[in-house]
Amino acid sequence: MSLLILKIYMQKYSAFNLIKNALTGHKDWEVAWKNPTPKTEYDVIIIGGGGHGLATAYYLAKEHNITNVAIIEKGWIGGGNVGRNTTIVRSNYMHDENGLFSEFGMDLWRSMSQELNFNVMFSPRGIINLAHSDAQMNAFSRRGNSMKLNGIDAVLLNREEVKKLIPMADFSENVRFPIFGGLMQPSAGTARHDGVAWGYARQADSMGVDIIQHCEVTGFDVDNGKIKGIQTSKGNIKAKKIGLCVAGSTNILAEMLNMRIPIETHLLQACVSEPIKPILDHVVTFGAGHFYVSQSDKGEMVMGGDLDGYNSYAQRGNLPTLQHVLTEGIAMLPFLSKLKMLRTWGGIMDMSMDGSPIIDKTHIEGLYLNCGWCYGGFKATPASGWTFAHTIAQDRPHKLNAGYSLNRFSTGHLLDEKGLGTKTWIS
Amino acid sequence: MLHIKCPHCGLRSQNEFSYGGDATVKRPELNKEVSDQDWDNFVYLRKSPRGKHLELWQHISGCRQWFKVERDTLTHEIFRTLKANEEI
Amino acid sequence: MSQNFRLDKGGLIDRSKSISFKFNGKNYSGYEGDTLASALIANGVHLVGRSFKYHRPRGFFGAGVDEPYAMVQLIRDNESIPNVRATEQELFEGLEAKSVNCWPNVDFDIGAINNFLNRFFPAGFYYKTFMWPRSFWYKVYEPIIRKAAGFGVVSANHDQERYEHKYEYCDLLVTGSGPSGLASAYAAAQNGARVILAEDKSRFGGSLLTSEVSIGNQSGHEWAENIISELKSMPNVTVKNRSQVFGYYDHNMLVMSERISDHLPKTNKYTPKQRLWYIRAKEVLISSGSIERPLVFGNNDTPGVMLSSAAKEYLKIFGVLVGKKPLIFTNNDSGYETAIEFKKNGIDPIVLDTRKDPSSEIVNEAKSLNIDIKFSYVVVAAKGYKKVKSADIAKISEDKKQLSQIENINCDCICVSGFWTPTIHLASQSGNKTKFNEEIDAFIPGQSKQNETVLGSAKGIFTLEETLKTSFEKGSELSKKITNKESNISVPSVVEKKHTNHDKFWCVPLPEGKNYKRFLDFQNDVSVSDVELALREGYRSIEHVKRYTTLGMATDQGKTSNLNGLQLVSDVENKVVPQVGHTTFRPPYTPVSIGAIVGREIGKHSKPTRKSPMHEWHEKNNAVFVDAGVWLRPRYYKQGNENLFEGSKREAKNVRQNVGVCDVTTLGKIDIKGPDAAELLNRVYTNAWLKLPVGKARYGVMLREDGIVMDDGTTTRISENHYHMTTTTAQAANVLSHLEYYLQLVWPELNVNVVSSTEQWAGAAIAGPKSRDVLQKLFPDLDVSNEGLPFMGYVEGNLFGVNAKIFRISFSGELAYEVNVESDNGNFMWEKIMEIGKEFNIQPYGTEALSTLRIEMGHVAGSELDGRTIPYDNSLEGLVSKKKDFIGKRSLSKSAYVAPDRQKVVGVVPLDKKTSIPEGSYIVKDAKAKLPNPKLGHVSASCWSVEHDNPFSLAIIKDGKNMIGQKLFAMSPLKNKTIPVEIVSSHYVDPKGERVRS
Repeated sequence: MSLLILKIYMQKYSAFNLIKNALTGHKDWEVAWKNPTPKTEYDVIIIGGGGHGLATAYYLAKEHNITNVAIIEKGWIGGGNVGRNTTIVRSNYMHDENGLFSEFGMDLWRSMSQELNFNVMFSPRGIINLAHSDAQMNAFSRRGNSMKLNGIDAVLLNREEVKKLIPMADFSENVRFPIFGGLMQPSAGTARHDGVAWGYARQADSMGVDIIQHCEVTGFDVDNGKIKGIQTSKGNIKAKKIGLCVAGSTNILAEMLNMRIPIETHLLQACVSEPIKPILDHVVTFGAGHFYVSQSDKGEMVMGGDLDGYNSYAQRGNLPTLQHVLTEGIAMLPFLSKLKMLRTWGGIMDMSMDGSPIIDKTHIEGLYLNCGWCYGGFKATPASGWTFAHTIAQDRPHKLNAGYSLNRFSTGHLLDEKGLGTKTWIS
Repeated sequence: MLHIKCPHCGLRSQNEFSYGGDATVKRPELNKEVSDQDWDNFVYLRKSPRGKHLELWQHISGCRQWFKVERDTLTHEIFRTLKANEEI
Repeated sequence: MSQNFRLDKGGLIDRSKSISFKFNGKNYSGYEGDTLASALIANGVHLVGRSFKYHRPRGFFGAGVDEPYAMVQLIRDNESIPNVRATEQELFEGLEAKSVNCWPNVDFDIGAINNFLNRFFPAGFYYKTFMWPRSFWYKVYEPIIRKAAGFGVVSANHDQERYEHKYEYCDLLVTGSGPSGLASAYAAAQNGARVILAEDKSRFGGSLLTSEVSIGNQSGHEWAENIISELKSMPNVTVKNRSQVFGYYDHNMLVMSERISDHLPKTNKYTPKQRLWYIRAKEVLISSGSIERPLVFGNNDTPGVMLSSAAKEYLKIFGVLVGKKPLIFTNNDSGYETAIEFKKNGIDPIVLDTRKDPSSEIVNEAKSLNIDIKFSYVVVAAKGYKKVKSADIAKISEDKKQLSQIENINCDCICVSGFWTPTIHLASQSGNKTKFNEEIDAFIPGQSKQNETVLGSAKGIFTLEETLKTSFEKGSELSKKITNKESNISVPSVVEKKHTNHDKFWCVPLPEGKNYKRFLDFQNDVSVSDVELALREGYRSIEHVKRYTTLGMATDQGKTSNLNGLQLVSDVENKVVPQVGHTTFRPPYTPVSIGAIVGREIGKHSKPTRKSPMHEWHEKNNAVFVDAGVWLRPRYYKQGNENLFEGSKREAKNVRQNVGVCDVTTLGKIDIKGPDAAELLNRVYTNAWLKLPVGKARYGVMLREDGIVMDDGTTTRISENHYHMTTTTAQAANVLSHLEYYLQLVWPELNVNVVSSTEQWAGAAIAGPKSRDVLQKLFPDLDVSNEGLPFMGYVEGNLFGVNAKIFRISFSGELAYEVNVESDNGNFMWEKIMEIGKEFNIQPYGTEALSTLRIEMGHVAGSELDGRTIPYDNSLEGLVSKKKDFIGKRSLSKSAYVAPDRQKVVGVVPLDKKTSIPEGSYIVKDAKAKLPNPKLGHVSASCWSVEHDNPFSLAIIKDGKNMIGQKLFAMSPLKNKTIPVEIVSSHYVDPKGERVRS
């Protein structure tokens, strides 16, 4: 009931309200989220105000009616990887667990702007994975067929079909790895990364979730194998349940809990070019290496590729990695050579030992874990939040995240999309 | 680009090396009983601290020796490098 | 059109060399030494573009790298180059440039309608609307927004330019050739240090080019010229102009882009356009100077409003007047320098100084020159749309809140000076924790993190005397540490005008009833009200403000906007600036050509290409090649009009019937020596190795520690302590590293050495029932009978004078041999084999036939050993020793791996014996089941069985062991195929393996 009332009173974002507010000089817009001081106790505390944490809090409130929730964020919300990614949203996975989980997320993506009343600019512009050999075409067939059998859209493109969609790719003779074709997921695309964080934050806040920024967790209270609360830079806070959503910082918090998690923290860089008029409509990935690109609404080419290749929490990388990434970029889209690189940044990735995430309970009662997203965290934001909220609320995983268990490393039910094993730094 | 001192060859740029992760992982001895838990810990658990990290590198485009590097994972500062058989 | 705004004399341009150029289709002229910006201003052109969001008219704001406005499309040598800054582009004969982001043209731009609707487009407006109906965002709204955004246009064709890289080490890298850069470089050079001095502009000297100072008995400019020419003559010094150090990376690696031909009409074929320098410096002296801050007032983006320092630069360097009725709006003494410069050139400026009653040398000089100065005055708003026509000015109260006596005065430009912001980017990139300096209202470098030392105004030192003194000292001190040499240099005396304090005021309040846009970020159209809105809505962290409003995210990266943005946030939030903190500085300092970053690794050279010694022979014999990693391998040898299917079938059939030869040079080869070699193999491979006799080969499988198959191959015992290991082509490097890892780190007690010998050997696999005949003729002296050289036997031979290693191993399932000779002899061997094999109908075969042969034999390869399968999955459990321990063994007991219905490789044959099953299909029980349709497993490899003359595939399916004989479906929904199949044994040909032993 209280939920409903809050809903009604929340200021609505719409063209009508935008015009109305324009006439009063935009003085009447409400805060998107408040800035509360922490209460002494919550039903659930989510540590980490990134995309996954904010989404988890939102779905706890919306799907499970649990609103006595706090999000504890060390810095500012949305400042981690949700604000540092290349905005790609897709579900083109081979393993059933990954495919079905991500496709569930795609449904959430499609209605996210309307549901959150915040335009997250989800654009199903399609993703094309280029293949440069028959062997790769076969590997893509394996993935694409798996997608189709899981009810996910996928199209195998031959060279000519690729050329029609992205004629600016290198179809010349002077090419090291000619394009043979590609695998396309037409319903994949991009979304406005910051908008996702802010949209979830605003709705979660409106349903009673406390978003507490600039609050660092310094310790946990565990009693008799049961979680009791946390110690923070803003004091101790009690909680019945606590969810960790801290991606690359998981190990730091796990250490406070004497837990060890099969993830390593690595550095991934991305960069954008100066904005140019529209030239590339799709998201495209290079098959003879590791490079992906899309053009933002602003006109910047948004590009990324390999990890820097050694454990790092630095959020800053080195140029040779970008040189390597951009070399593959030019090999794929030669026109990139004529652009300038405007901005680079780095994010720290929670690389799991099989490349797939972990959403599970832990051996500590009331403590739940959400991590291991590698560089695929952004697209998973809604599905991760939804299933993590379910796992916390029901104290058991949903069938969508049952495969993302911690104990799969013991049982051998690994989800290795790339077949690279535990060398997390090889991307 | 990191500047790494190979204990055998001297200071070289990072592109001569390849990374090998946590140097403190100890493989259980061959032909000895090891519990499931200990084995899985060996295979899947790595130290991943923010700060000082003892890690392996191999000088693949040089002497091909594996060696240890003590490096800060937040600043990338390298404190020292050690031969494979040296301990901190 | 004549250069109406060019002074008759003065400036550093070469007036003897007139240059004609074109802008927006009109012809203009300028001089050598001009930038496109200075030449356009000389011609009275101030309208160059339109802003990003509101399409407001844009002119010039700066004179260099900080320029937020003047982005043009440059046409050079038939190539159209987007987003070129007119303030950085040097003029050359025939230069052509166009305005961007406007339609139909810069004068009349339809997009400017946004400006009149701007109240509907505040910061973040797009988050609040365009949500209904759902599909409209992607289909309707977004395409319009995309079209309106972006600046220049890029064509899809290849870049014709050349870019190079250079790697350099030095003792001191000095970034910037202003007074601090010159002094420190000079001192270091005198001490014998290896110095690189980098200047971003074409001219050396930095602020000395425009300041009225004297050093020793020379003008600042003369002093700079003398120092530079001396530095240039020194062998230990590299001096580079047009070179921007844009990134400070780990361990004192800096990267610099040198513009070699950007300023020339056309690049010679082999001259690079730009060169990227990776510089590892022992010490880095950052002398990058400072950038003037704007003052914020109404319509402060109107063309004609520009930085006062830029106006001075146009005057002193280019002899160009940015206006003839200049208004100088300043909160400090710097604006007076510009005013005086105007006055000296016969132009009467008006100075508005926000300060009440400043007293300093330069203010007094301005007064004595009878310059019209109004104290406690501000510009309220610029008037004019495409160019400043006048300005509303007002007196401002002492508390800087009230405006009075508003009047309109005529002017054609407004030169603003809001004091100076040190350029701390490189220091900050190094990791330096910058700190806020209240005296100058800006961040300055703090404690060094790496070996960076910041000098001069980049450090907040604004007097020349102190700059020179400290820079000489630092240059000397740091170089002495390296060279152990110290030369005596006396710091020259300096004459400069002393400045007094600036006014902390930076933003003019709005007059009653007016709603002027006051811009902070000039390119992205971020105004004061946008930032206020963001704060009101709760976007309070500076990063939130930046992201919500896009402040500082334009191509000038906020060089002129960031600090004012911070001031505003701190004012509204009632905090001090250091509490707000600045956003992170990241490389590059200024946008860098992607072509330059990549260099020469483009086109065919984007990755290395490895070729076997027999490559030329393959080429001559119509081989169609396939990429195998970076190797090129013959896929098939095309005869006539054959396609791949026909050709590979012919080749495979010939192997089964006669004899074929395949180039196997690419296989990884590792030479293993030492008394413990057998023990190593025994630990690395899953099967037993201790009893392998000399002269025998064995097939082995190696695992990762997680139990997954890593690689397979044969290893041969050449002599007592010497083994020859082969790996797959793909895993060669990984396997070597893997062996080294265990030998050096895990089992250092093993006395074994390993070394790659892949490139030492050329290999030819001779396979087929007639292969023994060929071998016999190749090695007439050798006993090649089944007894003399049995299956898995090894022998050395003499191939017409060439040493050869002969292995009787088979991948095809036929009687087969692999002959290895030293690489140089590879072609000789190959030709001999072809020559001798002729009578036995030998044919070369490529990788496609090789695959066919192995698939129908049920030999697993890369498509099954895909990094996800254990030995059992590949029917390799027979090779897994139960007795001994080996790498990865302990993992094989995981519950998923020993499950009774564990996946296993099987053969798949279509029921119609006609329809090929696409690789990557899935095996399902019910082809019509609703989605998600449960999968039993996937088809890993397919071929046309030449033995049975029908399609055959391998698949890895759940409970494969018990599925033999089942009738199921292979589905490839991507290809709309559902094929009824029968599951059979994976060994489709010669299941007992008799042929290889015959």
